[in-house]
Amino acid sequence: MADVLSVGVNLEAFSQAINAIQALRSSVSRVFDCLKDGMRNKETLEGREKAFIAQFQDNLHSVNRDLNELERLSNLVGKPSENHPLHNSGLLSLDPVQDKTPLYSQLLQAYKWSNKLQYHAGLASGLLNQQSLKRSANQMGVSAKRRPKAQPTTLVLPPQYVDDVISRIDRMFPEMSIHLSRPNGTSAMLLVTLGKVLKVIVVMRSLFIDRTIVKGFSENVYTEDGKLDIWSKSNYQVFQKVTDHATTALLHYQLPQMPDVVVRSFMTWLRSYIKLFQAPCQRCGKFLQDGLPPTWRDFRTLEAFHDTCRQ
Amino acid sequence: MLRTHCPASRLGINLLHLTPASLSVSQMPVAEGKSVQQTVELLTRKLEMLGAEKQGTFCVDCETYHTAASTLGSQGQTGKLMYVMHNSEYPLSCFALFENGPCLIADTNFDVLMVKLKGFFQSAKASKIETRGTRYQYCDFLVKVGTVTMGPSARGISVEVEYGPCVVASDCWNLLLEFLQSFLGSHTPGAPTVFGNRHDTVYGPADTMVQYMELFNKIRKQQQVPVAGIR
Repeated sequence: MADVLSVGVNLEAFSQAINAIQALRSSVSRVFDCLKDGMRNKETLEGREKAFIAQFQDNLHSVNRDLNELERLSNLVGKPSENHPLHNSGLLSLDPVQDKTPLYSQLLQAYKWSNKLQYHAGLASGLLNQQSLKRSANQMGVSAKRRPKAQPTTLVLPPQYVDDVISRIDRMFPEMSIHLSRPNGTSAMLLVTLGKVLKVIVVMRSLFIDRTIVKGFSENVYTEDGKLDIWSKSNYQVFQKVTDHATTALLHYQLPQMPDVVVRSFMTWLRSYIKLFQAPCQRCGKFLQDGLPPTWRDFRTLEAFHDTCRQ
Repeated sequence: MLRTHCPASRLGINLLHLTPASLSVSQMPVAEGKSVQQTVELLTRKLEMLGAEKQGTFCVDCETYHTAASTLGSQGQTGKLMYVMHNSEYPLSCFALFENGPCLIADTNFDVLMVKLKGFFQSAKASKIETRGTRYQYCDFLVKVGTVTMGPSARGISVEVEYGPCVVASDCWNLLLEFLQSFLGSHTPGAPTVFGNRHDTVYGPADTMVQYMELFNKIRKQQQVPVAGIR
């Protein structure tokens, strides 16, 4: 109700202000008319000067009066659009039917939300910059550039070296067989078969592991044209979960200067899944939780935990 | 009382676990005063409370054949029994098994061939036994609760649990047992023979059928016990 009233007052002030502007314009034009006409014919020069000055003074006074009147009115009218922090959108608050179109309150919330988002994004980017997940040495910036000879970028390792590292790992774990193929140029793809439990497709870039997919031992890992199927996920929930954990492990094991150690650590970790269906959870002691066996393996101790039981 | 069983308690719940993983058969008494139907309902309700989703129906049937007398040797050799079975999980296949013997997996045309082999194998009268019921999915588990019927009467309940991700039966037995306990309570079976003697081999459809055959034989023998007041 108060809103409506103030709007009415404002409107009245507006019309008065417009009138005042008209008055001001006419009084100003009278000043210039008077100047244009100059001194009218009078008997004496003094009489003419006196009359002209008096008229000019009158006109200037009326201009001054009209201007003061306009200033007074302009204060009454107020400056709603500029006073408001949201500028013109603040006029939405004048909408009397708040219940039907709660635009203004939504707008305020969105404004607050975007402010907060900006603030948190700033904080997050600061934190993330401290703990970079970039895994290759050539992305480490200045230090890598300064010593290019001493620390060759690990992305240009000869395929022979990669083969050697992989075959050494293959020999290390008897229950794990690794089949290496290079269907797309120099990048190697590994098909790791762990006992009779699961199969893992590992996509490598030089000695960096780019992607892993875990599937069941009985599941097909090839596409119809006989290539390794690196895109489709497992049909079983348990292996989808293990795939997620394996991707986490890729980010955990990183040591840009010694990529072979990273691959070996990852494979050692992966090997602990040989007991996927046999090991109970180390925390709750059970096999099943929500229908899934303990799918998480601790990165250090390789102990089995349910996803929700790990710390 | 001569018997320790009341009639209702002779209705066994038989547990199976199946492909491509493994399977187990055992028996437990049904709660006293409950019919087969009521017990099946109890089981399915428990499964649904657990969060299992219904996925259509299933059926496994079995017919018994004798070796014909004319083909037997004169040395008093006893004829072996052969079982011809079908499983709705493998709709294009037909399974032929001997007890303790090999299991043959053939196309469904095999049924026609058996008619032609009448001179060597004769179908035993009223020997057809089958189990029908609902299929449930819970996470990676597949559970099939069925009523075993012989002719017109219900003889027992079969429970089959399949854990798809695992292909070696003995690996996931403890895990299966825990799952079985979650809806069967204390009436969980011991490890089936398939688990023990075939260590580390990949489980196949034939292993499932062997367990069903053993289950059906057990139920048939129970019927032969002379009991009064059969329901």
